[in-house]
Amino acid sequence: MSTWAALLSVAMVGTERQVPVVPGLDGAIGDLLAELAVLGDPPAQWVLQMAAVLATCAQAGVQGTAWPGPVPAAAAREVLTTVDHTSLIVLLAWTLRDGPQRLQHLVFRSLASQGCRLPIDLLPLALEQGRRSVALRESLQPVLGERGVWLAGQNPAWNYAFGVAAAAAEEVCWTEGSLAQRRALLREERRRNPSAARERLTRLLGDLPGRERAELIGELATGLSMDDEALLDSLRKDRSREVKQVTLGLLLRLPDCAHVQRAQQRMQALLWQERGLLRKHWRLDAPSAVADEWKADGIEATRPTHDVLGERAWWLFQLARQVPLAWWDRYTGMNPGDLVKWAAASDWADALLRAWREVLAVEPEVAWCEALLDHSPKTPFADHDMTLLACLPLARRERYWEKQLKDGGRSRLRVLVHQLLQACPAGECLSASLSLAIVSAVAEAVGQHADFSNDYALRAALPELCCVLQGAALGQMLAVSDEAAGKPALPELWHTVRQIIATRQALNC
Amino acid sequence: MTIIAAEAVLALAPDAASANAARALVMPARWPVLGANDVAVWGACQGSGSKPYQTQIGIAGTTPVFRCSCPSRKFPCKHALALLLLRAKQEELFTQTDAPAWVSEWLSTRAEKDRKKEEKQRPETASPVDPEVAEQRDLKRQAQRWNRIEGAATELEAWLYDQIGRGLGTLGDEQLGGWHTMAARMVDAQAPGLALRVREAAQGIRRGTDWPERLLHRIGLLYLLCAAIRRRAGLSPEMQAELRTVAGWPYEKSEVLSTGKRLADQWTVLGQIREENEDHLTERRVWLHGKSSGRRALLLEHAFAGKGFEHSWLNGSTVEATLAYFPGTSMLRALVAEVTASAQTQWPDSTLSAEWQTVAQRVASSPWVRSHPMVLSAAIPLRAGDHAFLMVEDQIMALHLGDGDTWRLLAHSGGHPLTMMGEWDGLALRPLSAWGFDGLWQRSPE
Repeated sequence: MSTWAALLSVAMVGTERQVPVVPGLDGAIGDLLAELAVLGDPPAQWVLQMAAVLATCAQAGVQGTAWPGPVPAAAAREVLTTVDHTSLIVLLAWTLRDGPQRLQHLVFRSLASQGCRLPIDLLPLALEQGRRSVALRESLQPVLGERGVWLAGQNPAWNYAFGVAAAAAEEVCWTEGSLAQRRALLREERRRNPSAARERLTRLLGDLPGRERAELIGELATGLSMDDEALLDSLRKDRSREVKQVTLGLLLRLPDCAHVQRAQQRMQALLWQERGLLRKHWRLDAPSAVADEWKADGIEATRPTHDVLGERAWWLFQLARQVPLAWWDRYTGMNPGDLVKWAAASDWADALLRAWREVLAVEPEVAWCEALLDHSPKTPFADHDMTLLACLPLARRERYWEKQLKDGGRSRLRVLVHQLLQACPAGECLSASLSLAIVSAVAEAVGQHADFSNDYALRAALPELCCVLQGAALGQMLAVSDEAAGKPALPELWHTVRQIIATRQALNC
Repeated sequence: MTIIAAEAVLALAPDAASANAARALVMPARWPVLGANDVAVWGACQGSGSKPYQTQIGIAGTTPVFRCSCPSRKFPCKHALALLLLRAKQEELFTQTDAPAWVSEWLSTRAEKDRKKEEKQRPETASPVDPEVAEQRDLKRQAQRWNRIEGAATELEAWLYDQIGRGLGTLGDEQLGGWHTMAARMVDAQAPGLALRVREAAQGIRRGTDWPERLLHRIGLLYLLCAAIRRRAGLSPEMQAELRTVAGWPYEKSEVLSTGKRLADQWTVLGQIREENEDHLTERRVWLHGKSSGRRALLLEHAFAGKGFEHSWLNGSTVEATLAYFPGTSMLRALVAEVTASAQTQWPDSTLSAEWQTVAQRVASSPWVRSHPMVLSAAIPLRAGDHAFLMVEDQIMALHLGDGDTWRLLAHSGGHPLTMMGEWDGLALRPLSAWGFDGLWQRSPE
């Protein structure tokens, strides 16, 4: 019972209704309270006197309480060095607080490549950014250091980053590590011993949620072989849509597996050659019905109501996306360019081209990507072309941008910049020549001051653009911003541009 | 010449918004003029107007002093902070030269003001009025005010009897009006300290499950204050001075500087906090620790509507200075009478039992002290649920700390012990700074 209980009882009811009693306390405080009782003051005064004594003594004698549970283990000793240059810390803080996510990626990767971790003061901010953006987590994890991982363990919202100490044993890492740590471990083991890694994954699969299953299964891409067929075949019927998609993507890379063989046979049955005047022509017909056994391979008979394809085209599309692109070259004897032209001229162009784009997304092939892009009539590109562009190596991709920059002129600059950013994954930069060409176009646009101020889309994309420019182009962009910073308009934008460039130059990234 | 580190500069910011705005101005292109010499740093910042703002910072003393021609009421303003940040980052941009007229004039005006202030503090330059007459007049004025305060305390005491007689259980929203009326009567009687305590007690009514105990605790201390004021004549001069301060009748700074107990020592700034109340009055509390004496001191200042404070203090900095303590028994609040020199930072060390002992002794000398400075060595911050705690030795203390600061503090600690300075309010600790292997953690500006 609290020392206040006896006094509280009468104070709450009121001395007009209840007679106060001396709280039963031992020692000097009890003696003092007893002395007050004999003074014979009115009851209300007596209660207040006792409250004054107890309040004063409580303040004077207060101590902490005992911690109910075990004290959490402290963070392990840091292996990585930290950034200690004040100006760089200020830039990093700005990057985390106000910088574009693309810059955050660059910064994290740059720090990781230099064997550095984030300053501890910035860890809460970095972990919070990682909570908001799943895409950022992979590059963030290596620069958290032991302190960051420990901190993540203190907050359920940051559990994504909570793993085990970097030096932990493999088994501990696999059972207690974060998803990123488990993925890294699985990837590494697939390189060394693919079957052991597969067995390790198989044992754990049943206990994992769908998203984690899908991500870990994706790691089977390293060292993929026919030995993995049985596991992948069983996963085609997984309850998770994500898992099914990843699995089908992996099976496409195993042309000898039964699933792909069945898909090829079905497609083969729909293709035939027709004799023309000079040579034979390939012809394709869409399925007229869905065979019962197709359903086991994930072919859905019912067309989604919102889909633009007709019913037969829908069935053809589903069949075609289960067939590796290499099979088309091999079976028809045509190269990707000819195949794209042939498909575009057929009655089933939409279904085939769409299926091929989907296959390319999981199994990129440069020749096929280029064939489809060269065929694309649209300038600027449509959204699905952006996905294809993203599958190309940077050097091959850039000739499309350069052509668009040349053809489209400044009027299309904002669309081009937007699309270019879409197709350029975080952490990648453009070539020096394209960077310079784009900065020149931007400088020209900025020179037309009124136009630029009103071009919201280009203005909004400028900070991100500064994250993909390379080398000398950064210096040129700095000169553009210097010139613009002297004018009163858009001070925030030019400040952001300068901060990004300063950060990249400071980290040489 | 001293160059203040960027973190220390940001600690001078009156609020987080100013710190952010200052960071945005750390661009050489925005500063067409930058210069420095041994006593000042200056620059012209291109703002939105046609004429650049003239920003100047005096760095000759132990703490920087600021001036800017911008219209901001924040102090220091974002331009001044940005100038210091730029100096911390890119010293080479600052030309070493003689100060331009607008800087040298300001510096000489400041020097002149300081000289006059010193003269004013000297007894021989006091008012030419006959000292005896002035003293008589002063004593009469004091007696009148004491009469009013004693009357207010007697009225409040009787009112407290009524509350206890009727019972605290009857208190609800409709009774709050009576409490606020009583507080207003205390203000009328020139006893704002009593009014503040009545209002605080009223705010706690029916708030939280343990409100009856807290309320009784508060009104117990309030009763003790009233009773002490009633019996003032029989108490020591120090206790009378304490009662006067607690009742809300503070001593004039000049009086403290001329008659307050002086203590020369190497004083380390342990921590500081600024809080703005609903009347836009900003209170700044800077806590100092004397190396040789082991004494603590509170520099308490107020500024209205975002106006700045005359001096800026950097956590962790140490100065050789003489403090003049305000009269009273708690012996915490003080003024800086004289700063002799800067000294090397010396963070103090302490034990938990010694800190509790000091708190107990201070409570014994004045039960109305609201914030006790504590330095806690080997302290480990912890978080459980939505609450932050501090484990020291085998004891746990609750922490008054916002989410952002809590996570930064945990990041600094990493579960390892550090030394923390905070204000103990009887229930929880408000951390202001902490230092350990990974450097200094500071509470964010409010």
